[in-house]
Amino acid sequence: MIDFAALLTAVHLLGSSWQPWLVVVPGILIGLLVHAVPGLTTSMALAICLPLIPYMDFLTALIFMTAMYAGAVYGVAIPAILLNIPGSAAAVGTTFDGFPMARAGKHNEALGLALAASCFGQAVAYLLLLGTAGPIGAFAIKLGPPEMLVLSLWGITLIGTLRGRHLSRGLLAGAFGLLLGTVGLSARGAPRGTFGFDLLLDGIPVVPAIVGLFAAAELFNLVGRDYIIEDLSQRSVRARLILNGVREAVRHPGVLVRGALLGSGIGIVPGGHAIANLLSYSETRRAAKDPEKFGTGDPRGILAAESANSSSEGGSMATLLALGIPTGGATAVMLVAFSMHNITGGPSFMRDHADMVYAVILSSLAQVGVLAVVGFAFTFVAGFVVKVRLRMLVPTVLSLAVIGSFALAHNIAGPITLAVFAVIGWFLKRFDYPVSAAVIGLLLGRRTEGDLLRTYQMSGGHLDFLLTRPIALTMLFLLTASILWPYLRSSRTRALTDLKGTVD
Amino acid sequence: MSASPTPFQVRIDDRKIAVDLPHFVFATGIAAWSGWFCWNSWRSSPDVENLILIVPVSAGAVLLYLFVAASCFKIIDIDQTEGSGASPREPLVRADVIKVAVSMALLAAFVVAGPTIGFDVASFTYMLAMMAFLGERRILVLLLVPLVFSVTVIYCFSSLLGTPLPLFFGTFGL
Repeated sequence: MIDFAALLTAVHLLGSSWQPWLVVVPGILIGLLVHAVPGLTTSMALAICLPLIPYMDFLTALIFMTAMYAGAVYGVAIPAILLNIPGSAAAVGTTFDGFPMARAGKHNEALGLALAASCFGQAVAYLLLLGTAGPIGAFAIKLGPPEMLVLSLWGITLIGTLRGRHLSRGLLAGAFGLLLGTVGLSARGAPRGTFGFDLLLDGIPVVPAIVGLFAAAELFNLVGRDYIIEDLSQRSVRARLILNGVREAVRHPGVLVRGALLGSGIGIVPGGHAIANLLSYSETRRAAKDPEKFGTGDPRGILAAESANSSSEGGSMATLLALGIPTGGATAVMLVAFSMHNITGGPSFMRDHADMVYAVILSSLAQVGVLAVVGFAFTFVAGFVVKVRLRMLVPTVLSLAVIGSFALAHNIAGPITLAVFAVIGWFLKRFDYPVSAAVIGLLLGRRTEGDLLRTYQMSGGHLDFLLTRPIALTMLFLLTASILWPYLRSSRTRALTDLKGTVD
Repeated sequence: MSASPTPFQVRIDDRKIAVDLPHFVFATGIAAWSGWFCWNSWRSSPDVENLILIVPVSAGAVLLYLFVAASCFKIIDIDQTEGSGASPREPLVRADVIKVAVSMALLAAFVVAGPTIGFDVASFTYMLAMMAFLGERRILVLLLVPLVFSVTVIYCFSSLLGTPLPLFFGTFGL
């Protein structure tokens, strides 16, 4: 599977000049910094740096962009943990346990956990890519709307696991989110729920809505307090504690491996990075013997989400390199960088430039080591957020969020969405609805509708069509097994306990 | 002082029914919007392609609402009055209500003012007002932090990131 001649050429390419390596640290730093601002995205940062691409040779340009991508993949975890702001959909799962850990004064450990999981996830993904870039690309092309639909449904089942104390409220919040996700023009061009505003024809801007629901609503609750962490003794930033987080990560190899493999697999499909962290979180929670601890600051929650979202980067790179198909905004911008050098991604690129593909994969593996060091230093600096008084932090973060959401949407729809969803988020929290369920619905609403519609059109309305799709069928089986497993396990445990009681 | 010291109660014969009115209104709002959204989508285009997800999810939302709404009503003892009701929440202190309401109002004002009069003036004013409202009393901090923040952020977005933002200074020849 590995073309060793091309691999050796790639090693020579990377070793013969120090020039490509010069862009790694700046790339990672830009990626990290961009996600410190709510509303800024990886694709935006990549697009901003596009004018630099023609001045670099192709390999250097690719390394620069993958370094930014690598930095951004970890960078989203920092505001997600410290401020409950998931800068992108990929970090939604990180907030579930990251912010509760930060509020409990375990922000250092939480950041260390996220850094370790990010590095591990990226390393696994690129190692997999090294051996299987071609087959992964060939597999990705077999995934059609029915398979995507099962994947979306898998994501939606997370709503059930994040129900909070009241199942009906969790499901209602999820349904509300799903409906909000479908606002705007339908596939037939019919406007739905737009109140006559043209700005809503493209749908509700998702990132400002998520920032509003999660962050702004949380910040309203913090108004009146002095610091994010009330206890002065816990408000420290210590490298030793960050390293403790890294050590804690090593104690959960199963969670890390599951997340990394899920992320690598799901990352190959369009939009996969947004769903990978949620699926990994959901599956880790289902597999846990003590699922009730999730959502209250469990380290495994951070590990599951971060290992998956970082490994999905490798998966999306597989699709980009092997098929020339972007799976998200960031890889779409990378494809533009390809065209700036008159190179087309896809099977011909894999065939004619195998050495370049291997060079990108090898350099990305090396970037994991650089990310560990640079990310650690950045984490240490970012951790000082907990020492800033809330009377300064709240207005600063809200201002950045509003300006960032305007920059993202390029119109007033972004800030208005943020403000409206901040109010909705506050009420959801106040009445004990799981905000995360609404966010998952919002993220998956339009995607699920599109997949459902395309599956319906392909099948002509016949459900048995799924039986002709072995991959979809396998995924449905795995989904059903994953839902039923916790119940089967608990009933087995009960039966064993009863048996033991009878024997005693 | 509580914002709602006595829960809404209805007396029927020898029983009282406590109603978690704020939650009931909120849940009703979600259900009403879901119903309206379904109707609006139907009116827009009654095709399967348009309603394939919306109709089942809306129907599910309305059904779930019935469960949630039912939980907002609780039968209580006839003698129970103060502090009894269907709400398990901590009552909001009036000061908290004011803080949250003013924070929301200031954010709404910033959202409208930013694109209208310019983000430079709007972000400076918003930060100053919010910091003052949250208890910052040092004049120098009140002026310098918003100023440095506004100048830095506007410069970064406009010049470094190439994202044009509506600005007061420059747009109006100032």
